[in-house]
Amino acid sequence: MTATVEYDQIHAIAQEVFAAMVDGDLGLLLPWDGDLPDIVDALVAWVDLHGEWSGRAVLVTASDTAHDLARVLLGLDDGDAVSRADLVDAFGEIANVVGGNLKSLLPTPGTLGLPQVGDVLPPLAGAARVQHLPLSWRGRLLVVDVWVTLPTATPEGTS
Amino acid sequence: MIRVLVTDDSRVMRQIVIRTLRQAGYDWDVREASDGAEALAAIQADEPDVVLSDWNMPNMTGIELLRSLRAAGYQTPFGFVTSEGSPEMRSTAQEAGALFLIAKPFTAEGFREVIDPVLA
Repeated sequence: MTATVEYDQIHAIAQEVFAAMVDGDLGLLLPWDGDLPDIVDALVAWVDLHGEWSGRAVLVTASDTAHDLARVLLGLDDGDAVSRADLVDAFGEIANVVGGNLKSLLPTPGTLGLPQVGDVLPPLAGAARVQHLPLSWRGRLLVVDVWVTLPTATPEGTS
Repeated sequence: MIRVLVTDDSRVMRQIVIRTLRQAGYDWDVREASDGAEALAAIQADEPDVVLSDWNMPNMTGIELLRSLRAAGYQTPFGFVTSEGSPEMRSTAQEAGALFLIAKPFTAEGFREVIDPVLA
C-alpha cells in the first residue's frame, strides 16, 4: 500500500499541531526560506505507524529549540530549566500528535507506536523518505519528515 | 465540584489537558494517572465523576481501560483525548461505551463543544 501523503497535508497537520499546542496562531510555522543550516546538537522525535501502510513521522530540531518548545508546552518562563525527561516527553508528544493525525489521513486502519526521542534517527528497514519539510518555527529550523516502508517486490507469477 | 481523572502517559500532555479544562471554564477537581493500569486502580479505589483518557499508552491502553471498567460494572462517564480521531477509532470508542473522543491537537473551544452537551 503506497497511498500518497502530500506535502501540503503534512504542512497543514504540523501547522495545526503547533497552533493548538504551542503558538495559538496558525501562521508561525512556515516553509523554511533560504539555505538550510546544519542542525547543531539535534534532537529527533519519531513515531512509527504499522499496518497496510507502514512508515514513520519524524521531527528534527536543535536541542535549544526543543527546550524552548518544551517550555511553551509546560507553561514555563524563558530560561527556566527543563529536565531531560520533560524534554523527551514534550518533543515526543509533538511527534505523537503529528503521527496520529498522519494516520487519520490513511485509507486503511493500522496502529500507532509510542513516540521515541533520541539524538539520531535509527534506520527503518525498507523505508524511503517520501516527504521532507524544512520549516521555520519562530525563525528556527524544524524539519518534519515522513518515511514509508516500501512493499516487498512480489516475484513474477506469484501475485 | 466535578472530579476528573486525567490519564495519559505523557506528563506534558496531562498538564496541557488540565490547562485546557481550566481555559474551557471547567473548575474541576483533578487527579492524574500515567497509564490505563494506574487509572483502573485509581478508579477502583475512589471512583471519579468522569475519566479523560489517552488511547495509546503502555501497560494498559485507554480502550482496554474502558472495557475493563465496563466489564467490572463501572459506568463511570468516559471520554478519550487522543492523537487519532479516525472514524474507525470513534466507532470503536463509542461501541465500548465512551461518551466522546477529542482528537489532539485540541482547543478550549473544542473541549466545550464536546463536553458541554455531555454535562447537560
